[in-house]
Amino acid sequence: MEKPTSLQFSVSDFIALTNQTLEYAYPSVEVEGEVASFKVNQGKYVFFDIKDAGGSIGCFMTVWQLRVPIEDGMKVIVTATPKLTQWGKFSLTVRAIRPSGEGSLKKSFDILRAKLDQEGLFAPERKRPLPALPRQVAIISSTQAAGYADFIKILNDRWGGLELRVAQVQVQGAGAPDQMIEALKYFNSGEVLPDVIVLIRGGGSADDLSAYNDELLVREIAASRVPTLVGVGHENDISLADMVADRRAATPSNAAQILVPDKMELIRSVRRQVGSMLPRTEQAIERRRQEIYDQLRRSVSAIDRQVNQYDQQLAGIARVLAELDPRKVLARGYALVRGDIKPGVMIEIEKHDILIQAEVRHVNKK
Amino acid sequence: MSTKNNLTIAEKTAKLDELVAWFDAEDFELERALDVFKEAEKLAREIEQDLQGLKNNIEIVKTKFSETE
Repeated sequence: MEKPTSLQFSVSDFIALTNQTLEYAYPSVEVEGEVASFKVNQGKYVFFDIKDAGGSIGCFMTVWQLRVPIEDGMKVIVTATPKLTQWGKFSLTVRAIRPSGEGSLKKSFDILRAKLDQEGLFAPERKRPLPALPRQVAIISSTQAAGYADFIKILNDRWGGLELRVAQVQVQGAGAPDQMIEALKYFNSGEVLPDVIVLIRGGGSADDLSAYNDELLVREIAASRVPTLVGVGHENDISLADMVADRRAATPSNAAQILVPDKMELIRSVRRQVGSMLPRTEQAIERRRQEIYDQLRRSVSAIDRQVNQYDQQLAGIARVLAELDPRKVLARGYALVRGDIKPGVMIEIEKHDILIQAEVRHVNKK
Repeated sequence: MSTKNNLTIAEKTAKLDELVAWFDAEDFELERALDVFKEAEKLAREIEQDLQGLKNNIEIVKTKFSETE
């Protein structure tokens, strides 16, 4: 029986062949494990081991690919390509790393939050007000996401006439942060900037939402020229993207409520305004009626005073006239003589109670 | 967001605010009150119609933001 012939390689060729085989069989793998011996060399290169109870693999990546804080003991998932080095050491060339499990996610979140907080990225004085009534709204989300549908529905119910431009991106997974960063850059680089940029996605697990804790994404939101509104997950889910945004919404629906007023509320307000005019007119009429009544009363009083004054004047005149009445003079014993006072002429003498016919005998000067 | 009369809803609501405020202003005249009220009522109807009639326009940006999309 003929012995099978062994393939013969040089060391370099064998390493190259092994790498070709690995690349063909496992172009990209995700491996979950605990980080150990984490170190950064020359500020550029990151080395660590990823291990579990049954083994350990060395990992290599660059600092620029490290998007979240990593420490020894953290459980992570690396996205990597397996490789045999020229020194015969098997390792993973890591393209992305993300914390896995609630404890690691929280630890990574806390470390990055403290770092960014120290830089002042969450400072209240950095927050810009959103426009009261935006016209152009840029949305960064997945159109397949339930949160997006909720947002659009509430927005349509509340207000109209908006120009909504939607950047369709992944909202979870390794590629999500970069896509959202690209979308932010896109909306910030147009000739006409939108009035506001809204990042939304519905609820999910801590791992699903971890894309919104990506350091580069958080920094891109902070650098946005356009005011930002972030509504991710549910009320209790708080991401670093939420914290750095100019305004945080508890949910995508809440983002729509924050973004635009409710047209039904405005309609009710307009109706109330018009309704308030009638009582005001009635009050004005009442005021005018009262003014007219007061004027009338003052006029009547003035007329009364004038009439009284005339009455008093008339009474005075009447008293004078009464004193001048000839009958009163006659009553005091005087007599009224009528006719020519010439000798031989008949005259009439009137006393208060008798008339006398008499003839003038003599007329002497006094 | 121009609507009837080429005024925006914001301009119309501002005008309505002015008309309502006139009822409390010093230059209020009872003789003009009815005309102003009618004008305000008409404006309110227009605002309501404008609000009900306006629709949002949604455009999905065609740009691909990553090869992984």
